[in-house]
Amino acid sequence: MSVLSSRSDRRKRTAPASGLTTPMIEIDRVSQTFQTSSRKDHLALSDISLRVEDGAFVSILGPSGCGKSTLLYIVGGFVNPSQGTARTKGRPITGPGPDRGPVFQEFALFPWKSVLGNVMYGPRQQGVKPAEAEAQSRVLIEMVGLKGFEDFYPKELSGGMKQRVALARTLAYHPEVLLMDEPFGALDAHTRTRLQNDLLNIWERDRKTVLFVTHSVDEAVFLSDKVVMMTQSPGRIREIVDIDLPRPRRRTELLLDPRYQKYVVDIERMFDDTGEAEVLP
Amino acid sequence: MISGRALVSRAAPLLTCLGLFVIWQVGSLALKNDSVPTALEALRAVPTIMGDKESLINILASLRRMAIGFGVAVLLSIPLGLLMGRNRFVASFFNPLLMVIYPVPKAALMPIIMLWIGVGDLSKTLVIFLGVSLPVIYHSFEGAKAVEEKMLWSGAAMGLSAAERMVRIVLPAALPEILTGCRTGLVLALITMVTSEMIARQSGAGNILFNALDMGQYDTVFAMIIVIGAMGICFDALFEMLRARLVKWSEPQFDMPLSFS
Amino acid sequence: MTARAVTADIVLGLVPLALLVALWQGLVSFGYAPTTLLPPPGIVFMRLAQQLSTPTFQQEIAATLFRLFAGFSIAVVLGVGIGLAAAASPPVNTIVRPAVRVLAPLPKVALYPALLLLLGFGHESKIVLVAADALFPILLSTYYGASTVEQKLIWSALAAGTSPRKVLFKVVLPAAAPSILTGCRIGLVISCIVVFLAEMITSTDGLGHVLVAAARTFQAVDMFVPLITISLLGLVLNGLLQALRAYLLRGFPEV
Repeated sequence: MSVLSSRSDRRKRTAPASGLTTPMIEIDRVSQTFQTSSRKDHLALSDISLRVEDGAFVSILGPSGCGKSTLLYIVGGFVNPSQGTARTKGRPITGPGPDRGPVFQEFALFPWKSVLGNVMYGPRQQGVKPAEAEAQSRVLIEMVGLKGFEDFYPKELSGGMKQRVALARTLAYHPEVLLMDEPFGALDAHTRTRLQNDLLNIWERDRKTVLFVTHSVDEAVFLSDKVVMMTQSPGRIREIVDIDLPRPRRRTELLLDPRYQKYVVDIERMFDDTGEAEVLP
Repeated sequence: MISGRALVSRAAPLLTCLGLFVIWQVGSLALKNDSVPTALEALRAVPTIMGDKESLINILASLRRMAIGFGVAVLLSIPLGLLMGRNRFVASFFNPLLMVIYPVPKAALMPIIMLWIGVGDLSKTLVIFLGVSLPVIYHSFEGAKAVEEKMLWSGAAMGLSAAERMVRIVLPAALPEILTGCRTGLVLALITMVTSEMIARQSGAGNILFNALDMGQYDTVFAMIIVIGAMGICFDALFEMLRARLVKWSEPQFDMPLSFS
Repeated sequence: MTARAVTADIVLGLVPLALLVALWQGLVSFGYAPTTLLPPPGIVFMRLAQQLSTPTFQQEIAATLFRLFAGFSIAVVLGVGIGLAAAASPPVNTIVRPAVRVLAPLPKVALYPALLLLLGFGHESKIVLVAADALFPILLSTYYGASTVEQKLIWSALAAGTSPRKVLFKVVLPAAAPSILTGCRIGLVISCIVVFLAEMITSTDGLGHVLVAAARTFQAVDMFVPLITISLLGLVLNGLLQALRAYLLRGFPEV
């Protein structure tokens, strides 16, 4: 059993399942209302319905404040929807769980634990014996490119390294779904592109389902099979764009590929059309 | 109209006081200990104390000492703290000295100070002064240290001299922290006042307390406890109101855990 | 900070202490203060050294330390426990908050006579007083640390399979550790002060009592000795706590 496969792994390492089976994630008419400090209700999400198939890499793309992170948190079970239901593999989502592993923009590493301690956390919670948990974790740490840093503390790492640890930590408990909340948003452009490449490489091995929240159009197109475009306040799904580009994707090739460029331009145009440019002329 | 919830939260401290008295009442009745009067008995003794001329003089004298000690301490400590915060040499000079003095209970210096300058008001006021100085210096120091360099540069560019920058930029910017220190100082002032009187046994509220203890007037003992306790709560509440007014522009402060604000 | 800067700081810091001792010596040598009131530093420190090797004095120290630790430990256990509970559970919170707001500004030393009546003049009354005084800073620091734990840390742990109950101990408590330890430091200083004062007010043993006894017999030297001792004790204990803190918080960014 490889480090990446889950314990109850019945998934084949081939193309994602067809739409006739139960989708990995199903969001059904979900709305989310928040109470703001001025006591008015803020409708963050409005009537979102979405199906995500197993093994799909799906981006949720939209400007700041469109509720895309909220949607992710609902799938993660951290937030309960005001209306509607979210399901995973047919079962309603009632709370967080190791089947849906988050990776946050702020890294959220445990500062009192070393890199190794952080990565081992999940397996230990699942009852894996310390020696085996450590061995598995070391393999994962090497896979994300941090071999040699096992005993470092998060405060001694750069942003990019911290995010690698965060990814390794989540992968360590074998989630079926990866929930990534603008994971590279806090990093500089150079680190970001490196991590995008590394993420795809890691993902290729196992093809987990990924929900990836971002506000960057080219990031969404580069990484995903589908881009879910969201409007702002209240957040609604505007359009779902299928990205039909071959895998494995290499950034340097893709940047020059006219199909990639067309996707990016089309999506940006669609955002522009709705007057959602950030800066008015 | 205030909502029901807000009403409850405003009344909560009052309810707690009532609750404490109830617990006391029940507890003392259950204990049947002659030396522990019931809450009601103690409460009844409070007006007696407040009405007794001599006790009142004593208590007011205590408060006067506390006020003077506190006032002088604040006046001297804030400038020192601010200077320490902005000048590394001054800080390095005073820091170890203060660190050595800090754990010494100032009220414990009472016997020595009494030996030197007698048992009058001065010794107690001096001790209160010492007790209040330290937290105020420390917090003024921390507050001044944390003032953003860029604010001072802007001030200098505007033509402010070093002294002006200190008074017009550092002082207001550090004010939230300074006031936290003053709040601690106030608490310590009250405690030092009471303790020094318990040790010196000359006059004052603490003295009344222990005199009553010696003479077996347990009602008075507990009544004085109520009086001193009420003083503590009142001062703190008043100070908090003042503080909120003075620094309503600031972020919520929390590094000296004194109480829920 | 370079090594040179640090040593320069230390040297600079020792200057006022040295000056103080010099001033002290000066006052005595030049006759500004009679030796009965202000004994020369040399004599005081010699007496201190002498006392420290005397079993009776050591017993006094032991009594003070015992009460200090007992009271402090109770304060830590109760403070951390209640603080965590109040941060984690809304019902506990509604009870604890107003109680703390009322009890915290009370000068607990005013309760000392009541404690004497209830618990007698021995160890117990002092231990309870120490605990009562040290409790609140620890409780408040714990509450603050626990209630400001980064939400995403808790979510990460929940997603990894930790039950909500265990999250309190596996995430909230460690994440609140810096705040808790700051509160403990304040609590420790308060414990030193309170135990000494309580012993001064009424006691038959302990460092505070030593001072009062010396005052009664006008033995100035013997009055300085316990003061300096408690000061040193405070410094040592503080140093130990800081070392413990540095070790426990080695992973945290701002120690």
